[in-house]
Amino acid sequence: MAQGFRGWVRRSTGAWLPRAGTFDAGEIEIKSRRVFILPTRAGLGFAALLLVLLIGSVNYSLGLGFGLTFLALSCALVDMVATYRNLAHLRLQQGRVAAVFAGQEAQFELLLTNRTRLARYAVRADFSDVAEPRHVTDIAPGAQAIMTLSLPTSARGWLSPARVKLFTRFPLGLFQAWSYWRPAARALVYPRPEDGAPPLPLAGGAGNNPRPDGNDDFAGVRSYQPGDSPRQMAWRQIARLDPEIGGQLVTKHFEGTGGDQLLLDFDAVPAQLDVELRLARMTRWVLEAEARALPYAFRLGALRYDAASGAAHQAACLRALALHGTGEAP
Amino acid sequence: MKAALKTAGIATLPLTRDKADTMLLLASAVLVLAPHAAHLPLWVSLLCGVTLLWRALITLRGRRMPPALVLLPIAAGAMIGVQFSYDTLIGKDAGVAMLVLLVAFKMLEMHARRDLYVVIFLCFFLVLTNFFYAQGIGTALMMVASILLLLATQLSFGFTGAVPPLRTRLGMAARTLAIAAPLAAVLFVVFPRIQGPLWGMPGGAGSGKSGLSDQMAPGQMSNLALSEEPAFRARFFGRAPDKAQLYWRGPVLDSFDGLTWSRGPDRVSGRNLHLAVGAPALEYEVTLEPSRARWVFALEMAGELPEVPGHQVRLSSQFELTSDAPLDARLRYRASSHTDYALQRDPALENAGRWLLLPYGFNPRALAEGRELRKLAAPAQRVETVLRRFREQPFSYTLEPPLLGRHTIDEFLYGAQAGFCEHYSGAFVFLMRAAGVPARVVTGYQGGDINPLDGFMTVRQSDAHAWAEVWLEGRGWTRVDPTAAVAPERVNRGLGASVPRPAPFGIDALRDMNPFGGEGNAWLARLRDAVNAANNGWNQWVLNYTPERQRGVVQSLQDKLLGWPFAVLLTFVVALLLIVRFFRRRKEIDPVDALYLALCKRLGQAGLARAADESPSAYATRIAADGEAPAGKLAPQARAAAHAFLQRYSSWRYAPPKPDPRLTATLKSLLSQVR
Repeated sequence: MAQGFRGWVRRSTGAWLPRAGTFDAGEIEIKSRRVFILPTRAGLGFAALLLVLLIGSVNYSLGLGFGLTFLALSCALVDMVATYRNLAHLRLQQGRVAAVFAGQEAQFELLLTNRTRLARYAVRADFSDVAEPRHVTDIAPGAQAIMTLSLPTSARGWLSPARVKLFTRFPLGLFQAWSYWRPAARALVYPRPEDGAPPLPLAGGAGNNPRPDGNDDFAGVRSYQPGDSPRQMAWRQIARLDPEIGGQLVTKHFEGTGGDQLLLDFDAVPAQLDVELRLARMTRWVLEAEARALPYAFRLGALRYDAASGAAHQAACLRALALHGTGEAP
Repeated sequence: MKAALKTAGIATLPLTRDKADTMLLLASAVLVLAPHAAHLPLWVSLLCGVTLLWRALITLRGRRMPPALVLLPIAAGAMIGVQFSYDTLIGKDAGVAMLVLLVAFKMLEMHARRDLYVVIFLCFFLVLTNFFYAQGIGTALMMVASILLLLATQLSFGFTGAVPPLRTRLGMAARTLAIAAPLAAVLFVVFPRIQGPLWGMPGGAGSGKSGLSDQMAPGQMSNLALSEEPAFRARFFGRAPDKAQLYWRGPVLDSFDGLTWSRGPDRVSGRNLHLAVGAPALEYEVTLEPSRARWVFALEMAGELPEVPGHQVRLSSQFELTSDAPLDARLRYRASSHTDYALQRDPALENAGRWLLLPYGFNPRALAEGRELRKLAAPAQRVETVLRRFREQPFSYTLEPPLLGRHTIDEFLYGAQAGFCEHYSGAFVFLMRAAGVPARVVTGYQGGDINPLDGFMTVRQSDAHAWAEVWLEGRGWTRVDPTAAVAPERVNRGLGASVPRPAPFGIDALRDMNPFGGEGNAWLARLRDAVNAANNGWNQWVLNYTPERQRGVVQSLQDKLLGWPFAVLLTFVVALLLIVRFFRRRKEIDPVDALYLALCKRLGQAGLARAADESPSAYATRIAADGEAPAGKLAPQARAAAHAFLQRYSSWRYAPPKPDPRLTATLKSLLSQVR
């Protein structure tokens, strides 16, 4: 009996109050019991106004004054229901979460679906620890809106956001209805690339003299300099980026020594440096190697990736750097 | 004009959102302030108009708001102006003027969202203050329009993204009002009412209307205003008495100084009054219009003191009913009267000299005629003689009698021979006193129209009347109406019938078109009845819904609602609503999609929530991959079922439509296997 009652309490309270450690997985509906509602400061002012109207009506025996008072009161009550309805029965779902570098803003996508026939206006959302909510949207009936909530990052690793507070004061602003949503989403934060890092550890030093006979190994691309032969232009890389959005002409770059492939090895970074700094340097090198389209091998402790290049390879390397030492499998 | 606007760039450019909202706020302020212009000093109205216009120009031209350095002196000047106009800054009228100015100035000092609410709330309050001055049906309609616009304004400021067109926003406000109205009506009826005032005496919330005068100077006034204003309304709980019985007793005038009849000193307050009544009492309810007077009107003769809410009713020595305070609110009271009565049927009239006094040096001819009457032995005969004189000699009834000089009664009796009730009653009482019969003038109302639509009898200011009372041995104070002797139709049909009405604009043909001209035009009369019934219903139910009335209504509601038929009906309606709601929710979504959502939910509970961007087939692949992990989140069988479900769903959703009647059943059975 007691067990049943406790279970009932837990079920009924747990349903509307997300506890720490529980997440809302998949698409969830803001059920009515998840919606809280309280008067705003304007609402309290309106209550004071109603009191004044009532006292005035009583004191001066204004029959029509009573009518006005009760009509205004009823409008406030209708507003309360409308505010609640503006939030209730919306469906929430987490969207994509892009990985970012530490120091950048992590972007969490929040999908709001309105399966009802009621247009929703001025629904605001933000992480509950943000003082002034920054995001607001309207959702037409049967439509979906995407809100991108941003969160500043400082340290690498997984970033789990605080719960999201959704609220609205529409239509009259006398009441605020709110609800919490704790998404299971987490953002991967890569280490912040080191500024002014040493150049890529290219084995055998950098030779910049291309051999026209073509015996040299392709060693990536570099910026175009006047005088470069069109045959040496890296047309494929050029084509990827439109000059209008910052792309530039690049020239194929050949390493003359024909040495080993580029290897980014965590252990090769001087061990006396701070771990975070070493990770930051590795990050910078990964980015630089990718920018120059140099294939690179990657070693981080026991983790080894063979030489390759491309977005997937880069993501795998950065992920390994981000999660290094966190105990989580990259 | 249009071209001019175009060059000014006002009308043609669509306003930005902020500007449009501000203009809407200005419009609602104008709507709220406009009715106040009727009672405010002209300069206040003009100042408000100029201020609002200034604000509109600032908005349209995109100028800056005036600094406080400019506004403060203007506001201070306005305060001094209010002090100058009203001789005070506090109090009702001055307070309303200050509020009106405050709203106008606040418009020029709006910076934050909070200020918007301040303005809107002040506007709500100003709607209320307008009721000090008018509470008719028109005012109520104006109130609804004001609230509608205020709500639409408040609503407009709530949008953050796209703002729907004004018409849609007005529609939203109207819907809010429409939903709120029944609730407000219920609150209006059942919310516990307290009898005001809570403090002091509100400075004459009624009106400046003075009711019946307690003085009468026949011959000093050459034209009696025919006011159609209602004085009070009455509803009889049985059959209404004949018109000839409808004498509503008011002030009794017994003191005559030669020109003016007035109330004598009231030394004895109703102690030695003996009223003998016959016939069953008439029960009725009177709704008195507000006035500054204290008269409580009842039919002659009231058997008991009516109970007027909030007032103490007293009976004077001349059987007048007065209240202890001015009746400046609309009041309702019950009364019971006996048309068959005898007042002071004593062997001898105590203090009879009071009603025999005549001023020295006035009206010598009438005095002589009265003395002559003393030759008749029986006082009743003297009365009859005078009445016969009025009937047989060429006396006429007119509302526009000639002005009379010093000896008003002599000039009336022997000269003009034309006048209205005041002349006749005054002359009659004078003659009676001269003839040694105690007499006094009684004023009040005579008659009343019953409205066939709601059964209420309306007694108007134009029904004001004066008659006489004489004391006869064996009969007591007896009512005599000398006017009836001259113009019986005045008593039997009302004033409208007894006086030839002036034709509108002097054109005779228009006379019959006058809607108040009597029985000439049936549908106009009906219209007039309908308007009166509406006004009366309004007064009864809205303006004068007192605590007493509320008790009665709530009691009758309880009697009606607690019966079982209502309970059954209520249960039925609730059940119907629940059923409709249930089916509507079901119909919102395709059944197959519903199954899909159920599956997603179930998988989500198992820890395999579908990502927002995951298609059913990609989801199926991921579910299948779950099995390869060391510890799958689903049992193998459930996984297979989920996989099969998703594939079927995917092919149903994305493949060209191929009817599969058993799809829903298959999906259902698969879903049941996912545990």
